[in-house]
Amino acid sequence: MMKGMMVVITTQNISKRFNDVLALNDISLHINKGAVFGLVGTNGAGKSTFLRLLAGIYRPDSGSITIDDQPIWENNEVKRRICYISDEQYFFANATPLEVARYYNGIYPNFDLQRFSELMQGFELTGNRKINTFSKGMKKQLSVILGLSAGVDYIFCDETFDGLDPVMRHAVKSLFAADVADRGLTPIIASHNLRELEDICDHVGLLHRGGVLLEKDLDDMKLGAGKVQCVLPEGVEPSSLGLNIVIDEQRGQLHTLIARGTQEEIMAKVAAANPVFMEFLPLTLEEFFIMETEVAGYDLKKLFI
Amino acid sequence: MQVMVYQDVGITQREEAQMGMITIDYKDRRPLYQQLMEKIEELALGGLIKADEQLPSVRSLAVELAINPNTIQRAYGELEKKGIVYSVPGRGSFLAASQEALLSKSRDVILRDLLQLIERAKSCGIGREMFLTEAAKFYDEGNDGSDYNTKYQQAF
Repeated sequence: MMKGMMVVITTQNISKRFNDVLALNDISLHINKGAVFGLVGTNGAGKSTFLRLLAGIYRPDSGSITIDDQPIWENNEVKRRICYISDEQYFFANATPLEVARYYNGIYPNFDLQRFSELMQGFELTGNRKINTFSKGMKKQLSVILGLSAGVDYIFCDETFDGLDPVMRHAVKSLFAADVADRGLTPIIASHNLRELEDICDHVGLLHRGGVLLEKDLDDMKLGAGKVQCVLPEGVEPSSLGLNIVIDEQRGQLHTLIARGTQEEIMAKVAAANPVFMEFLPLTLEEFFIMETEVAGYDLKKLFI
Repeated sequence: MQVMVYQDVGITQREEAQMGMITIDYKDRRPLYQQLMEKIEELALGGLIKADEQLPSVRSLAVELAINPNTIQRAYGELEKKGIVYSVPGRGSFLAASQEALLSKSRDVILRDLLQLIERAKSCGIGREMFLTEAAKFYDEGNDGSDYNTKYQQAF
């Protein structure tokens, strides 16, 4: 995409070990400006570790991380342009949202107090109530509001959407969309909810056991494979169709094939065999990941249940 | 709850009407940009968006649907490649005057459906003559005001 072509975040062969646990193993990723990057994987796959490394909270054992061509570690200049929303909200004891906003205002040069109070009003949160009286969801909303008011170029969200109710999620996605459109905000969103990522992300990276299984444009990914249900004439096997079949499940006469290729290619090849019945279904993000992980030799089905 | 997302956007009434018509089906498995393209094509064919009418801005549609602006940009870009939409730098995307591309695509779809229908007709023993006679009757139906429609509805 037009503005999406400039690489702004690069990780090169980063690894991170905690005692004898290798949390991240040799991760290389590129993230473009204005892209909305989704990071998926199970708990323990390394998503949070990855985000903390990007935010400069952890230092990688090896490899390098650069944001706008500068290292992030101990680099306040770059850190002023990123905001990390952790999965567990932490605020100063006895602080109120307004006090936190003032604190943020001192750290982030582009912090917008006006926007902060507008968003607080919109989300119906009280600025002078103690945060420790807030519910978990409200604390999450407050973090999002702070992040959006910080005027940063990069926002890293660790399961941020997961704790929000549907109305709130829609509102937060709209706000993100507006900032992506207006000023090329680049969000990186970690989640284990694939359905949630499908509508807001354009690039997705799948982490598994500390490694990157794949990293792709979401639409290209969806268009690069498909599912066909078909009943073939007697004596014709799916393997003879000339398709690049990844998964073949058979129930009675009905074959459910997952194959690589565009819809047209797949349909044409199945149709050439004069099937008794045939139906094409695009893959969901979930099915795609299950396919890729099965190919990679992982039994990940348990992941997505 | 009213979240102040739109206040600085300045959405026009026209945009609002169009955006109400452009919706997303979350059960649809196709990429969102394809869904958007199809929706806009439908609206154009149905005359709900007129030639040279401006489409909603990428930003306002992204905010409205709560999806990635890049996705909408991609849909508009693909529509432009197909000649259905043209863009004016700094102003946005507009519906092209000639919808020949759209019409020809619709014709292809109808002909493909017809092929399937003929296959089905063959498989349940409707012969060529009968098929063509009946098709001709239906084709002329609108012109002579006859009542085939009621006749066939009664059959079911």
